[in-house]
Amino acid sequence: MPKVFRVLLWTSISLLGAFALATIALHRGEQINAMWLVVAAVATYAVGYRFYSSFIAAKLLAIDPLRATPAERLDNGRDFVPTNKWVVFGHHFAAIAGPGPLVGPVLAAQFGYLPGTLWIIAGAVLGGCIQDFVILLFSVRRDGKSMTEMAKTEIGKVGGFVSYLAVISIIIILLGAVALVVVNALKSSPWGTFTIAMTMPIAVLMGLYLRRIRPGKVLEASVLGFVLVLAAIIGGQWVSQSASWAAVFTLTGATLAVLLIIYGFTASVLPVWLLLAPRDYLSTFVKLGTIALLAIGIVVLRPSLHMPPLTRFIDGSGPVFAGTVFPFAFITIACGAVSGFHSLISSGTTPKLIRREPETRMVGYGGMLAESMVAVMAMIAASVLQPGVYFAVNSPAGIVGQAPETAAATISAWGFPVTAAEMASLAHAVGEQTLFNRTGGAPAFAVGMAHIFSNSLGGQAMMALWYHFAIMFEALFILTVLDAGTRVGRFMLQDALGHVWKPLGRTSWYPSILFTSGLMVAAWGYFLWQGVKDPLGGINSLWPLFGICNQLLATVALCVATTIIVKMGRARYVLVTLIPLCWLVAVTFTASYHKVLNPNPRIGFLAHARQLASAGADARLIFNDRLDAAVAGVLVVLVAVVLIESTLEWARVLSGRKAAEVRETPFVMTQLALEEQR
Amino acid sequence: MSQIACGAGALARETLDAILRASTRSFTVLVAALREIFDESAYARFLDRQRATSSPIAYAEFLRESEIAKVRRPRCC
Repeated sequence: MPKVFRVLLWTSISLLGAFALATIALHRGEQINAMWLVVAAVATYAVGYRFYSSFIAAKLLAIDPLRATPAERLDNGRDFVPTNKWVVFGHHFAAIAGPGPLVGPVLAAQFGYLPGTLWIIAGAVLGGCIQDFVILLFSVRRDGKSMTEMAKTEIGKVGGFVSYLAVISIIIILLGAVALVVVNALKSSPWGTFTIAMTMPIAVLMGLYLRRIRPGKVLEASVLGFVLVLAAIIGGQWVSQSASWAAVFTLTGATLAVLLIIYGFTASVLPVWLLLAPRDYLSTFVKLGTIALLAIGIVVLRPSLHMPPLTRFIDGSGPVFAGTVFPFAFITIACGAVSGFHSLISSGTTPKLIRREPETRMVGYGGMLAESMVAVMAMIAASVLQPGVYFAVNSPAGIVGQAPETAAATISAWGFPVTAAEMASLAHAVGEQTLFNRTGGAPAFAVGMAHIFSNSLGGQAMMALWYHFAIMFEALFILTVLDAGTRVGRFMLQDALGHVWKPLGRTSWYPSILFTSGLMVAAWGYFLWQGVKDPLGGINSLWPLFGICNQLLATVALCVATTIIVKMGRARYVLVTLIPLCWLVAVTFTASYHKVLNPNPRIGFLAHARQLASAGADARLIFNDRLDAAVAGVLVVLVAVVLIESTLEWARVLSGRKAAEVRETPFVMTQLALEEQR
Repeated sequence: MSQIACGAGALARETLDAILRASTRSFTVLVAALREIFDESAYARFLDRQRATSSPIAYAEFLRESEIAKVRRPRCC
C-alpha cells in the first residue's frame, strides 16, 4: 500500500478511536450505544499494536528474526515444537482467557462503565500487553525458562522465593474467590446446579470415549460433550419445575461449598484422562464458542448502555465491594488489563512453541489485546442492565436487606429505581426463584448476556435458556480453573516439600498426592468457606485480595523484565516497563494499605475485626479478617523486598559496579528463516 | 465494450479466487489451531514419533507421556 494511504488510514483509525474515547468519557445524561466502547477499544488496540508494540519489538527488545528459538533448536515433537503463529496465538489465548476478565469488569461496573472501560483499554495497551510480550520474548531467549526461574537468576534468590510464594498465594486465593463465584451463582438454583452436576458424568463419558472408542479424537468428543451439555441445560428446566427433583438440587451456599471442596480434591487425585482433561477440553470448547458468540451478538445487536458513566459509588461506599475508584477499580479488573498470572503462561508452554522471534509480538501483545476485548464485552454485558437491576443482583443482603421490598427500597433510595415486582418478574423470566443478593458477578453477567441474546435469538421465551447457558459457561470455566489450579498448586507444593523430605517430592507417590492435594484444597477451601460465611457476601473481601495478589505478581514480572532490560544495555527505553511497574506499585500498595489499615470496617480487615470483636461476634469471623490482613500484609512486604532488590541491581549495573550479564542462550542462526526464503 | 466486460469479468474472477484462497487459508489455520488447542496435533506427533497407529493402547501411552506437562500447564484466571 502506498505510504500516503497508510498515513491516511492510520490517521483515520487514530481519530476514530480518539472520538470514540471522547464520546464515552464526556457523554453525560443520555444512554450511549455499546458500539462506542467497541470502537474505542478496537481503534486503540490497533494503534497500540501497530505502533507501540512494533517500537518495543524494534528498539527495546531488538527482536532478531535470524535467531533460532528453543522450539527450533530443541524440537523434540513433545514440549518444543515449532508451531504456526496463529496456532500458537489460539493456544495462548485459550490458556490466558479465564473467568477473571468476565467477573472483574462486572464487579467494577458499580463505579459506572467509564473507569473500568478506560482502565481495561489503557491498562492492556500500556501494561498488560507489554508484560505478556516482554516476558514471552525473554523466556524464548532462555530456552522457555519459567518466570520464577528468571526471577531467581536475574534478581537473586529472594526474587525467586518471593515469586514462588506469590504464585502459590495467588493460586490459593484465586481458587477460593472463583469457587465463591460458583457457589453464589448456583445456590438455591436447581436448574444451574443440575446442569453443572451433569457436566461431571459428561466429562467422564468424554474421557472414556476418547480412551476406548475414538482415541485422540478430542474435537469430536468435545462436540459430543457440548451437545450433551445443551441437553443438560434443557433438562435443567424440567428439574427446576419438578417439585421432587428441584428439592434435590436446591442447595445452600454451605452445601455447595462442601461439594466443591470434595470435587477439587477428587479431581486432583483422579487420573487426568478421566475427569480433568475432558473437562478442560469441554470448557475450552464452550469458552471459545461463547466468547465468539458474545462478540457477534454485541456487534450485531448494538445494545444501549443503561449504566451511567460514573455512579455515586466512586466515593468508596459501593455495595458490591467497598473502596474508592482509585485504587479499587484497578485491582478489581486485573485480567483484562494487567494480570500477573499471564506471566506464568508467557513463560510456560507458549515460548516452547514459538517458531520465530518476531512472532512473540503477535502472540504476547496480540493475545492480551484479545483478552482485553473479552473484558470490554463483559463490561458491556453488565452495563446493558438497568442500574437498579444490576445493584439488586450484586448487592449482598448484609447491605441492602434480606427482604425483596427492603432491598428494592434501599437501592431505589440510592437513585437507581427498581421494584420487588420487577425483580420477581425478571427472576421468573430467567427461571430462578430470586435474583436478589446474587453476588459474585456471574449472575449479573448471565442476566446481561441473556438480555443481549434474547433481544434477537428466540425472544423473551429463550431468556431462561440463555441465562442458564451463561451460568453453565461461567461455572464450567471456573471449575476447570479450580481443578487445574489445584493440580498445579499440588505440584508446586510437592516440588517445595521434596526439599524437606524427598518422598514428598515424588509426583507419582500416592501418599504424597493425597497429602499435598489435601493441603491445597484445605487452603483454598478455607477461603471459600470464609466467603460463604461472610455476612457481606465474601466477594467484598476475597476479590480485592485476589486482585492485589494477581497484580503483585505482575509487579514481580515487571521487576524481572526491567532488570533484564537494564542488563541488556537498553536502559534508555526502560520507561516502557518502568511506567506500568510504578503504576502497579502505586495501585497494589495503596489497595493493600486500605484493605489492612483503613478505619472503615467495610474496607479495612483489621477495622472490621475490631468491629466484630466489640459486637461480640463469632471468633472465627474475627480470625478470618486478621488472616486476610496478614496475607495482604506479608505479600506486600515480600514484593517490596523484590522491588528493593531489583532497584539495587539496576543501580549496580547502571553505575558500572556490576557487569551487565545477560543470561540468554547463545545465538544460533535459524534454519527456518532460510527455509522460508527458499 | 466486450473488452471492458471481459476485463471486468477477469477482475471479478481474480477477486473471487483471492477471497476463496484467503478463506481456505483461514479455515486451515483455524482447524490447525483447534487441533493444537485440543491436543490432536500433539497426539499425531506422538504417533509419528513412535511410528505407531492410533489405538486405545497408543492413546493411553500418549496420555501417560503428556500427563505431567498437561497438569503443570496453568489455566489463567
